[in-house]
Amino acid sequence: MAAVADGGIPPRKRQRSIAAQDRLFGLLVAAPGLGALLLVILFPILFAIFTSFHDYTLIHPNFETFVATEKYAEAVGEKYLHTAVWVTIKFVIATVVIEFVIGFTVALMLNTVQRFKTIYYFILLMPLLINPVVVGLIWRMLLHTELGIVNYGIGLVGIPAVNWLGDADIAFWTVVMVDIWHQISFMAILLLAGLAALPREPYEAARMDGASALRCFIHITLPLMRPVITVALLLRMIFAIKTFDIVYIMTKGGPGTATDLISYYIYRAAFFGLDVSKASAMSVLLLLAVLGLTVFLYRYMKSMA
Amino acid sequence: MKRLLLAGAMLVAGMGIAKAETIRLLMETVPDTRYIQELLPEFKAQTGIDVEMEVISYIDMHTKLVPQLIASEGSYDAIVVDFYWVGEFTKAGWLMPIDDLVKRDGIDLGAYVPKLLDLVGQVEGVTYMLPFYNYSMAVIYRKDLLEDSANQAAFKEKYGMDLRVPETWDEYMNQVDFFTRDTDGDGKRDLFGTVIQAQRGDCISMQWANYLYGNGGSYHDDKWNPLMDSPEAIQAMKDYRLHLTNNSPPGSESFCFDEAFNVMAQGKSYSLLTFNIMYAGFEDPESSKVIGKVGIAPNPGGGLNGGWGWAIPNSSPNKEAAWKFLKWVESYEVAKKRALLGGAPTQTKIFTDPDIVSARPYYPTLQKILEGVKDFPVFTYTTQFVEATGLELNLAATGQKDPAEALKDANAAFRKLLKKDGKI
Repeated sequence: MAAVADGGIPPRKRQRSIAAQDRLFGLLVAAPGLGALLLVILFPILFAIFTSFHDYTLIHPNFETFVATEKYAEAVGEKYLHTAVWVTIKFVIATVVIEFVIGFTVALMLNTVQRFKTIYYFILLMPLLINPVVVGLIWRMLLHTELGIVNYGIGLVGIPAVNWLGDADIAFWTVVMVDIWHQISFMAILLLAGLAALPREPYEAARMDGASALRCFIHITLPLMRPVITVALLLRMIFAIKTFDIVYIMTKGGPGTATDLISYYIYRAAFFGLDVSKASAMSVLLLLAVLGLTVFLYRYMKSMA
Repeated sequence: MKRLLLAGAMLVAGMGIAKAETIRLLMETVPDTRYIQELLPEFKAQTGIDVEMEVISYIDMHTKLVPQLIASEGSYDAIVVDFYWVGEFTKAGWLMPIDDLVKRDGIDLGAYVPKLLDLVGQVEGVTYMLPFYNYSMAVIYRKDLLEDSANQAAFKEKYGMDLRVPETWDEYMNQVDFFTRDTDGDGKRDLFGTVIQAQRGDCISMQWANYLYGNGGSYHDDKWNPLMDSPEAIQAMKDYRLHLTNNSPPGSESFCFDEAFNVMAQGKSYSLLTFNIMYAGFEDPESSKVIGKVGIAPNPGGGLNGGWGWAIPNSSPNKEAAWKFLKWVESYEVAKKRALLGGAPTQTKIFTDPDIVSARPYYPTLQKILEGVKDFPVFTYTTQFVEATGLELNLAATGQKDPAEALKDANAAFRKLLKKDGKI
C-alpha cells in the first residue's frame, strides 16, 4: 500500500518532505530538553534582570519599589568593586595563559606517547576530579607557614619559609598556582583530543618536503588546531572569571583585597550585604562583559583563520 | 470487602498518629552540638519526638538559613541564631516571639546570665530566643611559662612589674613582647607572644575587638554615634599591627581561629586571644601538646561577648514540638549535663554548681570572664558591618593602608550602615 501511495509523488518533492519530516521529528525530540534549558537558564537571567531594577533585599524581600538603574549606579560607584574587577582580570589572564602554555606542552608530549597512556590520563585527571572546596582546604593545610608540608619541604633544601597566603603580593600567585594545579588537566585533555583528531596526511607531505618539527608545528599544527584552541581558551576564560570556591576557602579575598575576585564580591553583596538587587545588578554587568568578551574573541579567532 | 477497606483505612490512619513526630534543626559543627546529640535519646524517651539535626559549618549556615526563613513554611522547626544575625533576623520578622510560651510554661529567664539574655535572648523587650551557649573571648595563656620563677625574675627586671595573670592591657602587651623569643638559639623565633588571626572579615573583626576594649575604646557611644576612628581605636590597631609583625608567627595575616588554635596547641605561642570554648581543645590529647599547661583569664579591659540562641522561626512547620525541644534542652538538668561534657553554659547557677566545679575547675573563671565582656554592635546590618570593617582592619593590619586612614574609612562605612538602619 505504502509503495503505491508514494509512487504518485515526484522523487524530489518526496525527498524534501522527508527532510522536513526529519526536521520536525528532530525538533519534537529536542523540545523537552530545549524547554528545560530555557527554563533553567533564561528564567534565572530574566529574574536577575528584573530584580536588579527593584529594591529587593533579604530584609525586605519584595518587588514593591522600582528603582530603575539606581542599583547599577551604586554598584559601579563602589571603589572595592573596581579593585575586584582588576584582580579578576589579572587572575583570568594569568591562569588562562599559563594553563594554555603548560597544557599545550603536556598535550603535545602525551600525543606522541604510546605506552601507559591510560596511566598518564589517570594522573592528569586526578586533580580535576577533586571538589574545588576540598582542593582549597588541602592546599590551605599544605601551605600553612608554620605547620605546612610545603614550607617544611623547601626548608630541607635551604629555602626560607614563604608566607604563601599571608603576603599580599604572594597570595595572589598562590591562588593562581592552586587554580592551575586544579584546572590544567582540563586544558590538556581538551587540546589532546584536538591533536589526536588531526589528519596525518599534511604531516607526511611536509616530512617528504623535509620540513622540520618546529615548522610542522607552526604551519600545520597551530592552524589546524585553531578551532580547538579557541574553544579551550574561551571555556577556560569563562570558568576562570567565575572562580569562587578556591578564594572563598583559602583567602576570603585577602590579604586586604589581593585575591578579591568578582564572583566572591557579588556573593558578599548578596549574602553579607543582604542586597540581592545590587548583587543582581553586578551579575548582569558581569554577564554582559563575559558575553561581549566571548563574541569579540570568537570573531577575532575566526578572522585569523 | 467494603468493611475490609474501611478497616485498612483506619489502620493506616492509626499508624499515622502512632508514627513518631520528628523535628528538624540546623546546627553548627561545634562541641556543644555534639554534646546535645549525645543527650538526644533522653528527649526521645521523654517526649517520643525524634530530632533530626543537620550539622554544617558556620560559613554555610547563613546562606542556608535565609531561604528557609523567607519561605512561608521552611524545613527547620527550630534553629540556632548567632548574635551576628539577631538584628537582621528580628528586623526581618523571621523569628517567633516566645514571651507567651515562656509565661505559659513558667520558664525563668532570670536564670540566664543577663549579658547573654541581652545578646541572644531579647530584643527591645521582646523575647525571641533562649540563650544556648556562649563563646565570649578571653586570654588563653601558658600557665607553666607564667609561673616559672626564672621567667618571673627576668620579667620583673625588664619591665619593672610582676609577671602574673594580666590584669591591665599594658601587662598583657609586655608579656607578649617578653615571651616572643628564640628558645633553641638557631637565630629564628620559635616561641611567639601571641597568635594573630588577621584573615579579613569575621576572623580579624572578632579578635581586634578585644584590642579595642583593651585600649579602653568602644565601637559607638550610647546614642550609636560610631567611634571607630577614636584615638583608642587607632592605638588598638597599632598594637594589633605590632603583634602581627613582631610577635605572631609568619602567615598570621591569613589565619583564622583554627590555624591560630593549632599554633598555640603545638606549644609555639605563649598566649592566644580566642573564644573560651576553644579551651577544652587544649586539654584534648588528640589536638594538643600543651595539656595541663594552659590557663584562661578575662581579656584586660573586657573580652568580646558572643553567643548563640535557640529560636523558633516563623516558618517552622511544627512550633509546638520545637518549643518542647527548647524547653527540654534548656532545662537545668540538660544544661548541666551538657556543661559536664564540656559545654559552654548560659545559666548563672551552672558555673558554680558543685558537680561542675569538681569536674571542670575553670568554670568559675568562665563566669568571671562573662561578667566583664562587652558587646559587639548588634544591628540589622551586623554581617555587612563585619565585612566592610573587617576589610579595612585587615588592610591596616597587613600594612597596606595607614591605620588612621583605614579606621576613618571603617567608621564611615559603619556610619552609613547605621543610617541605613535608622539608628542615627
